[in-house]
Amino acid sequence: MRLMRNRGYFAAFIVSLAASFGVQACSSSPQGTAPSSDGLTGKLILTGSSTVAPLVGEIAKRFEAEHPSVRIDVQTGGSSRGLADAKQRLADIGMISRALKPEETDDFQGFVIAQDGIGVIINKANSVGAISDRQLVDIYTNQIQNWREVGGEDAPITVVNKAEGRSTLELFLSYFQLQNSQIQADVIIGDNQQGIKTVAGNANAIGYVSIGAAEYDIGQGAPIHLLPVGGVEATVETVQDGSFPLARPLTLVTANPPSGLTQEFIQFAQSEDVHDIIKAQNFVPVQRKELAQTLR
Amino acid sequence: MAKPLQRSSPSRSPWLDRLSAFGVWSVALIITAIFAWIMGDILWRGAGQISWDFLTLPPQNAGRDGGIGPILVSTGLILVVCLSVSLPLGLGTAVFLSEFTAADNGFGRLVRRSLDILSGVPSIVFGLFGYTFFAQTLGLGFSILSGGLTLACMVLPILIRSAEEGFRAVPADYRLSAASLGLSRTATLWHLLLPAAVPGIVVGLVLGIGRAIAETAALIFTSGYVDRMPTSLLDSGRALSVHIFDLSMNVPGGDAPAYGSALVLVVLLILLNGAANWIGRRLSFQSGFHWR
Repeated sequence: MRLMRNRGYFAAFIVSLAASFGVQACSSSPQGTAPSSDGLTGKLILTGSSTVAPLVGEIAKRFEAEHPSVRIDVQTGGSSRGLADAKQRLADIGMISRALKPEETDDFQGFVIAQDGIGVIINKANSVGAISDRQLVDIYTNQIQNWREVGGEDAPITVVNKAEGRSTLELFLSYFQLQNSQIQADVIIGDNQQGIKTVAGNANAIGYVSIGAAEYDIGQGAPIHLLPVGGVEATVETVQDGSFPLARPLTLVTANPPSGLTQEFIQFAQSEDVHDIIKAQNFVPVQRKELAQTLR
Repeated sequence: MAKPLQRSSPSRSPWLDRLSAFGVWSVALIITAIFAWIMGDILWRGAGQISWDFLTLPPQNAGRDGGIGPILVSTGLILVVCLSVSLPLGLGTAVFLSEFTAADNGFGRLVRRSLDILSGVPSIVFGLFGYTFFAQTLGLGFSILSGGLTLACMVLPILIRSAEEGFRAVPADYRLSAASLGLSRTATLWHLLLPAAVPGIVVGLVLGIGRAIAETAALIFTSGYVDRMPTSLLDSGRALSVHIFDLSMNVPGGDAPAYGSALVLVVLLILLNGAANWIGRRLSFQSGFHWR
């Protein structure tokens, strides 16, 4: 008797697992999507930059709310992934946190949705107020190894660099005309938040991150501060008016000229309807005039 | 008869005894303190976030506001897929290794060796494999199914090796007695070996669930990043650990909800472990065995 009861328990356990799987599998057939009043239906897949993904995710939610039978899936993986997936048609739209390079414009169409400035950050305990572009290059190439040489205290400089494949790194390198192999980094980081946390935790560190992210964290009391670049203060305002030199456009890319749902979504992402979302994510909305320019 | 043991003089030093006792105690205390510190930190920063709304509402403003409702559902579904695939496969392989092959069998050794290597493979490798195989080759795309199957591959080695140990721990007498009573091999397996091996299986289950639910790298490319409430297993669904990673790495101001989510994850893990142990005890009590 005992043995029988036990068998029943074990079988019940297995069956309940299998059942929960089966029930889910049954419901996995594509659900019928009722066309909404505006006739927009379907599904879009976006992949790419982890900087752009949270922003586009929010834009997608608002778009879905306005068009109930549209589904937009936002995935991440980095700008290179966004370009590769858009090219192989694994994604309808790719997301990159930079402008398209000239050699890429044959294969892709780019649509700027917002601007992001890259600011150089140091720890708040560091007394250095400003450094020239030349000094920054020397710091990153290990010609300058001590803060004393740029007017700070006698302490070794911890150079924080971005990992390979990050578009922040590419933009930083091209502005300062550096090769990544020239940079002698002490710490390699991936995301903005990691950069901010590294510099906040090390009084002698220097790094570069998104200005929006840095301003937000400074507002929240993070012990870091932004250095001017090329003599221009690093603020959201200088990024917006175009005077800040080290800025990058957050760009949606497609392999074909967009049409249908893809086109509708890109237009929505560039419209003023989403400016509040862009600001809430600490990025800078682009003005209509600039858009017309970038679209040509 | 053996001579009574002579106490050798050097080990009689009370100082040495006290010192080694102190050493052992302090090591144990440090380990406990580290655990308590981590738990305390998560509890301290995360407890304020927890509310019914946080557990049920969808995330808003990139996760800074709102809750983790759809993410909890996705995490649960991924785990269900993972276990319902890995548990039967794992138990089957463990039975094969312990009951159908000798310990020194060449093929058995090959299987065991490959499992041991597999269990040491970094999870990002499983993630890339899952992305190319399940998502692209099998066409499952970014989906809970892709994620669950990828996790199943990851969890299998742990599950199989622990279950195999469980089966091997059953005394050979049981099998001999069963055979002498004329029980078939299948009956012996169902009625005798499986219940007796439950402690080993539960250990494997607990370790496997732990590895699966904490996984980030393997899931970001398979089950994906979408934080909508999933309506099917073919939907992309963000796992709790991916959500925590995204909040702390990509979202300025995401630290507070990240701690809240981390607390939920830890509590979930403790509950699942408790459940696995409870089921294990029920099963072995039913069979009349008492394992201590």
